[in-house]
Amino acid sequence: MVSPVVRLTARGVVARKFRILLTTLAVVSGVAFVSGAFVLTDSVKSAIDSLFEELRGDIDLEVRTTIAFGDEARGERDPVPLSLLPEISKIEGVRLVEANLRRSATIIKTDGEPLKVSGPAFGIAWNGPDGLDGRTLIAGTAPKGPKEVAIDKSSAKRAGYEIGDIVTIVGPTGKDQFTLVGLTGSGNTNGGGGASISAFNPNTANDFLGAQDQADSLLIGILPGFSLSDVQVSIEEILPSSIEVITGVQAAKEISGSINDVIDIFGKVLLGFAAISLFVSAFLIFNTFAIIVSQRLRELALMRAVGASTQQIRAMIIGEGLIIGIIATGLGILGGLGVAQGITALFNAAGAAFPTAGLTLSLRTILVSVFIGIGVTVTAAIVPAIRAGRIPPVAAMRPELGFSALQRNKRLVVGLTTLLFGITLFSIGLFVQPGGTIITLGSSAIGAVMLFLGVASLSTTIAAPASRLISRILPVPFRPMTRSVPGRLASRNAQRTPRRTASTASALMVGLALVSTVAVVAASVKKSFTEQLQSSVTADFFITNLSFQGLPVAFAERLDALDELGSVSPFRATRALVNGEEKQIGAVKPEMGDIVDVGVIEGSIESLAEGKLLLHKDPARDLGVGVGDSLDFTWQNGTTSTLIVGGIYTEAAVAGNWLISLETLSQASKAPPVDFFIGAKIADGVSIEAARAAVEKVAADFPSAEVQDQSEFQKSQEDQLNQLLAIVYGLLIFAILIAVLGIANTMALSVYERTREFGLLRAVGMSKRHLKRSVRWEAIIVSVFGATLGVVVGIPLGVSVAMALPDSFVTTTQIPVNTIVAILLASIVVGIVAAIFPARRAAKLDVLAAIATQ
Amino acid sequence: MTQVASHPAAAALNASKIYGKDDSEVRALDDVTVDFQLGHFTAIMGPSGSGKSTLMHCLAGLDSLTSGRVLIGDTDLAQLDDKQLTTLRREKVGFIFQAYNLIPTLTALENITLPMDLGGVKPEQEWLDTVIDAMNLRNRLSHRPSELSGGQQQRVAVARALASRPQIIFADEPTGNLDSKTGAEILSFMKHAVTDLHQTIVMVTHDPVAAAYADRVIFLADGKVVDEVNNPTSELVLDRMKRLGN
Repeated sequence: MVSPVVRLTARGVVARKFRILLTTLAVVSGVAFVSGAFVLTDSVKSAIDSLFEELRGDIDLEVRTTIAFGDEARGERDPVPLSLLPEISKIEGVRLVEANLRRSATIIKTDGEPLKVSGPAFGIAWNGPDGLDGRTLIAGTAPKGPKEVAIDKSSAKRAGYEIGDIVTIVGPTGKDQFTLVGLTGSGNTNGGGGASISAFNPNTANDFLGAQDQADSLLIGILPGFSLSDVQVSIEEILPSSIEVITGVQAAKEISGSINDVIDIFGKVLLGFAAISLFVSAFLIFNTFAIIVSQRLRELALMRAVGASTQQIRAMIIGEGLIIGIIATGLGILGGLGVAQGITALFNAAGAAFPTAGLTLSLRTILVSVFIGIGVTVTAAIVPAIRAGRIPPVAAMRPELGFSALQRNKRLVVGLTTLLFGITLFSIGLFVQPGGTIITLGSSAIGAVMLFLGVASLSTTIAAPASRLISRILPVPFRPMTRSVPGRLASRNAQRTPRRTASTASALMVGLALVSTVAVVAASVKKSFTEQLQSSVTADFFITNLSFQGLPVAFAERLDALDELGSVSPFRATRALVNGEEKQIGAVKPEMGDIVDVGVIEGSIESLAEGKLLLHKDPARDLGVGVGDSLDFTWQNGTTSTLIVGGIYTEAAVAGNWLISLETLSQASKAPPVDFFIGAKIADGVSIEAARAAVEKVAADFPSAEVQDQSEFQKSQEDQLNQLLAIVYGLLIFAILIAVLGIANTMALSVYERTREFGLLRAVGMSKRHLKRSVRWEAIIVSVFGATLGVVVGIPLGVSVAMALPDSFVTTTQIPVNTIVAILLASIVVGIVAAIFPARRAAKLDVLAAIATQ
Repeated sequence: MTQVASHPAAAALNASKIYGKDDSEVRALDDVTVDFQLGHFTAIMGPSGSGKSTLMHCLAGLDSLTSGRVLIGDTDLAQLDDKQLTTLRREKVGFIFQAYNLIPTLTALENITLPMDLGGVKPEQEWLDTVIDAMNLRNRLSHRPSELSGGQQQRVAVARALASRPQIIFADEPTGNLDSKTGAEILSFMKHAVTDLHQTIVMVTHDPVAAAYADRVIFLADGKVVDEVNNPTSELVLDRMKRLGN
């Protein structure tokens, strides 16, 4: 026989299925978000793993220079001399040795414009389809002669070329024309995963790509019957110590591993937002259960009267949470597959090339989803269940005694304690930053959660007066709410159930507090950045690169030769170990001082020309060095230098924290240099128009370059920040949507509860319109209350985060008044939207039937 | 029919119940001593505010006294904690309320066996059949409360109260929500349960006609027992009520 508690629980869920539908939806969306993040990262990672295994399948061994530190796949390596190639070919067991060479090379379309690609634009050395690099020939022949090229099929198609056409390609050494002889693919695809690939025969590549008889690495295939490790050892014997030989499998793993690291970060960000959505869902679940328990007061009391124990009542309510949790988790996991597919499609439509090879639903994904989905639902049901257990049996006859039992609590004390504890933890995490990023983030996050819970709890105390205030000052549409009957009813109803009003509003509070936090931080970053740019940038032009690949060094050299321009300096970057920590080091010309005023407070920029180092005041303070002191650098290729500090500066927005000269860089690193961007100043007496025309003329030969003047540069930097912000807001929208769902849910439950009351109101002459209006205005009061709380909590949070950020990033705090006002106004819309369905339902009630309701 | 008259099923001894404090103090029960014999059908009557509901709530262990004692059988309710009170309600006491007697999501049969199910006790099938047939519910067992008439719902409530063969059944205005014909039907079912099935019922009512079904009527006013009538008729009860009113 089924236990009565189980039976009652199951029947309870079935009987209230429509009332808990929205709750279920909220959990489903939260779980879908979580499992979607896992499915997406798992799927993409496994696709990438197999892609690289396939692409590099023929490569048995790879010879490359070593790096001293950092990520193997992303490290900047010195090139390998081609002179090693014939020597390795002679080793027993070696079937084939190929030079691996890839440099940026842009295809010019038939209309004269550069071909834009979402990935990099590469020129490569290619030995043809029988080579080791996995590139296939789809049509035509492999390039043999010095003026021949093969292009990946999808890029050729997009650029408008067919075999036999003359193609203009811009490489590191300049522009040249080639005959298109073949179309290539990689693996079983037509392209290079969003990249454009121009393949030349190795000699042409060496000349046109400016490789100077050096290669990025050497790829080796071995003869059948020979042991891989034997051949590896034989090769190792002839290599100098700065050059290593690794297996192709390891190389593939390094590359896919480094891509997977990025995907993992992406997944973690998604999980973070999933956590926010779930947190907001928890409010909704809690609220639904609290309301349902009070609606079932007599039923629960009756059960107590006929012999149900407190524990049985509690088990029943928690059991209902469990059932909802199980159903919602199941649907959520399925939804996660959809989410993963949706995000992949979205990103691919936007140009990213996520490899798709089916969705991976791992056991871990299922377990985590189950744990989280059921955990959140059951946890949120605990407090309502405890309260339900307090309902005395006598409430079966005298319900008023039951309500007082439901309302007994120590909210003020608990709320205040939680709030203070949350603030403390949050501040410790942010300002003291104990023990690394994880603990800092963790304690800030837990602090924030407690802070939100504390505010949610305290908001019960102020819900009634706040509702009264909001209804007095909010004019709908031409006069204060309280001047009309529906307005008064709305206001009184919001005040009548302060606990419900508060917890409904709290869900919205969380979402909007985070939005305001982000808004404050973003505004501060923007303002700091703009201020720094304005005070430090003196360049007239900035030349940046559209595809993040950097600019060929020839560009800056040709700009330097222009009479129309004065000082020109490229900005390069490398990495080095300083005092055991990996640092990004910028390399510039000493003339950079005319382009960017970094605010030298000690020493001089000119000292760069003497091979000295310039650094920002923060690292100088941390390391305790001043002008004249020296620091030891270990470069990525393993060489070391001791550099003397020649100056200390204050503005890091453009130049970064560390600066050396181009000469110092070229002595340290033999990796092929690229310029991140170039700054230039107009020569005296030359008009801006004339200078721009001259720059544009050079830029025409470097199609991926974009010439910007000061304001354009500033705008493009801000645009990047805005894009990032748009993504963050987009992800927070989910949490806000769930909160809106929560308001709709509470209103629907309240309408259900007030059936008889609404019947009475209609019976004494209230029109449907007025009834609807009263429901709608109540929803508006709740959402404005929530939004106000959110803004009040979010602004100080944002200010604290902005203050905690390093000075090189944020120097001033700024509260974005427009955004805050927009949030508050939007909350009115939120209320209107949330009330649509409940208001319609209230208006539809049959008057007689409503009055007859118990 | 009342062979065990010397042994009370329940009793209140010097029972007092005070609500509120100081100025707003209300004596709902004022030193009430009364007992209810096994196998009897007793009605408690009195005007609104006389304390009749409070007396019943305290007798049934639903509410606690300010002073005095309540016994169910030999058990002193004041000695019991919430858990033991729950068990007592489940095993020794049956309830019939004025309205909202049934769990809407359970069938009639599931409602009837609910107290035993909650206690993990198997219902005694023979007795269950007797009760179901006595209440004439045989062909209504699989119906949900919403599919039953008001009278049928009350019969299910009576059956539930009887099903666990409790020491005593408390009924709070069991006919208050019913028309007089259905009300009379329920009362005769209850009377039948006492006379033929040897059960003990205490009923709170303000309806003299309902009270006339009882073996004995106790009158309460201002928290005190003021009168008592054995083998009442409705005229007799009405007459006493009128006198109380004056």
